[in-house]
Amino acid sequence: MSELDLRTAAASAAPVRRARPSVSEIFAMAFVLFLAVATVVPGLLSSIDPNAIAARDAFQGPSPEHWFGTDESGRDVYSRVIAGTSTSLLIGVSATVIGVTLGLILGVIAGFGGRILDFSVNRTIEVLFAFPGLLLALLVIVIAGPGPVTATIAVGLSTAPGYARIIRGQLAGIRSSGYVESARVLGHGPRRILTRHILPNALAPLMVLATLGIGQAVVWASALSYLGLGAQPPSAEWGAMLSAGRTYIGTAWWLTVFPGLMIVLTTIATTILGRSLTRRTAGRR
Amino acid sequence: MHIAPHSRARRGLATVAAATGVALLFAGCQATPGESGSTPVAGGTLTYASGDAEPTCLDPHVGGNYPQALIAGQFLDSLVSRNTDGTIIPWLATEWSVSDDNLSWDFTLKDDVTFTDGTPFNAEAVKVNVEHLKDPATESSTGYLALGKVESVEVVSDTVVRFSLSTPDSALLESLSQPWTAIESPAGIARGMEENCQAPIGTGPFLVDEWVKQDHVSLVRNEDYNSPPADAKHDGKAYLDGIEWRFLPDSASRYAALQAGQVDVIDNAQPDTIAAAEKTSTLAHLDAPRPGASNRIELNAGRSPFNDPAVREAFIRAVDVNDGIESLFFGSAKRSYSPLSSIEATGYSDESLFGTDLDEANALLDSAGWTERDADGYRVKDGERLSLAFPVSTNQSIPAEQSLFEQIQATAKDAGFEVNLSLLDLSSWYGVLGENNYDLVSAPYTKVGPDVLRILYHSDGIIPAPSGYFANHSQVSDPELDALLTSASEISDEDERAALYEQAQKIILEGFHILPLYDQQNHFLLGTRVKDARALPTVSTPTFYDAWLSGQ
Repeated sequence: MSELDLRTAAASAAPVRRARPSVSEIFAMAFVLFLAVATVVPGLLSSIDPNAIAARDAFQGPSPEHWFGTDESGRDVYSRVIAGTSTSLLIGVSATVIGVTLGLILGVIAGFGGRILDFSVNRTIEVLFAFPGLLLALLVIVIAGPGPVTATIAVGLSTAPGYARIIRGQLAGIRSSGYVESARVLGHGPRRILTRHILPNALAPLMVLATLGIGQAVVWASALSYLGLGAQPPSAEWGAMLSAGRTYIGTAWWLTVFPGLMIVLTTIATTILGRSLTRRTAGRR
Repeated sequence: MHIAPHSRARRGLATVAAATGVALLFAGCQATPGESGSTPVAGGTLTYASGDAEPTCLDPHVGGNYPQALIAGQFLDSLVSRNTDGTIIPWLATEWSVSDDNLSWDFTLKDDVTFTDGTPFNAEAVKVNVEHLKDPATESSTGYLALGKVESVEVVSDTVVRFSLSTPDSALLESLSQPWTAIESPAGIARGMEENCQAPIGTGPFLVDEWVKQDHVSLVRNEDYNSPPADAKHDGKAYLDGIEWRFLPDSASRYAALQAGQVDVIDNAQPDTIAAAEKTSTLAHLDAPRPGASNRIELNAGRSPFNDPAVREAFIRAVDVNDGIESLFFGSAKRSYSPLSSIEATGYSDESLFGTDLDEANALLDSAGWTERDADGYRVKDGERLSLAFPVSTNQSIPAEQSLFEQIQATAKDAGFEVNLSLLDLSSWYGVLGENNYDLVSAPYTKVGPDVLRILYHSDGIIPAPSGYFANHSQVSDPELDALLTSASEISDEDERAALYEQAQKIILEGFHILPLYDQQNHFLLGTRVKDARALPTVSTPTFYDAWLSGQ
């Protein structure tokens, strides 16, 4: 998900439609519901302990007993994929929250802080943009050390500049809009205008952006775990499972295919929902 | 003063005669099974892909690690070698004798050998090499340690060189058989470390033509080669035109390159690919366990809780490794119950000490005072949890082994042990060991012969060297064991030596100081066009002197 995609997603001005959800949207919603269940009550989907080791049962292909097969230590891949949902999603969602919050703060400072603050925040964002996002995340991890918490912060920090720039643009547009102009003419103070008129109107598209961003954050967090910089083995996390299974890719495909599929499906589902939200909210501001 | 040549040496001479005489005539008949009748053909370049780290210096005198040994064996010869029975056999030295007091060794050298730069190989060259190894400026560690008892080297004549020792050393010949003490051209050494590291000059079957860093080393045939070890299959120069020695760190890419025919030989083959290769008819598997120590987990007796033998025994009784070894290694690794590699004839094993028995483990821990359990199920004594720090060097263990350690972590929990695994890079790992901040550790050690036991388990090995490194990771400090290891290293009678090493191994095993796992794994996969490649029975590095490519 590039910055351009985010911006067009935020700025697309499709007419208001109360159309019925499409098939892909239904599937996306169903999958997100499944993820939610896996995160909140994993026991509902799998009764096997994701960390139970049984060396004798190692490297078994998918079967009625082990839907996604077993890994090199005989652990059930399906229950690990389910258990990994909460880790992967938690990292993805938290990182997005961090990124959006930071972006919002920076964006508001730039949009309302006067010319000098706007200039300095803008230049800072531009400098940060010069680094690819993942490189920025790697830099944070080099300084703070590997682990799931630092990976979350790293991904959050590296997505913040993108959000900040979009929010600043949104704010600038809203600030010169007719209703803000009217509020100003009516004599409302700047704080009241910001909290009552501008932020509520800027937040709706931001939520859409955040939905799209979660997919990206899940991919990045998995990438970091894959490189051994995020969640550490033997913890069940999709990226870490991919990394561990990679050794056996020639002989046990199920170790990489299923966690990989989860990452892909999660990204696709959040993207579909994000775009659908974009379309549905676009006309309302 | 000198006794007659050792019977081993005479046997070696006979082997040389047989090898030179017979090999020329019947070389074809000695080809690998399944290839009988095919005659070696000369020509072609073999491509070797190594998964070991690229050496920073090709001279194995400098430092002295396994990646250096792997490649140095192609262009350097040693004074002696070892055959598959464990007997020392002639190489650059044809025979040797030792004085009655075991302090003076005379080596007779081949008289018609020259280094690839034209420098003659003679007694003076051997003296220069030993002095190079012992010179602190060389920064040798493996070769330096191996020749620790050599006080001086004297040129008796052009073809006779005398080693004078400070104390008798029953491991001298084994030490000299290793690639880390191989013989290089004095003129080459004189060029200085930087140039010598780039392209050391030896008497070997190949010579270093070019080293493109982070990519490959080109080796070309030594057209004048005439000094193979006594167990070689042929005489004269090698069959191959050369070897392209590539560095391919990723194991999956290495195997894929072999399958695609882009490379002919790979090392560090992973267990699942070995199993896959054995099912095919297009790849051959060379299993060459390293000599010296077995791969084992050492229990640090130098601090609590493993300073209590009962806790050590409880840990060993609690963990189950057999199923894990079988499944993770796909049958390519055999469980060991010995401190020594299975290729060491003096190895002693005792399976009865390593049966898994959770009830006994629990009883032992109860009697040792670890009676309570905390909320997480771990045992507690005086408010301390029964925790074990297990630093793992990612550079020295393969993924399968790391998974095995995770399984050990899980089974040890049943008895109430908390095992804290931490995956570390090599320098952090050394750091943790230096701070005595570990309870379990797996540290491979390769050395020819049982004298490795003295390095690993003599109490002298607890005291760190100036570099901070120490080899006695289990921190065994037992005067009886020390005495056994010292006298074994000085005794000349083979049978008495073996008996002393057996007693020493009994003490190590019965004291529950180690959990042996398997031999140090060393697997090579070869494309079928590669014939007659073998591993040297010294440190199990492959040699391509006899190798040839079919279909040339």
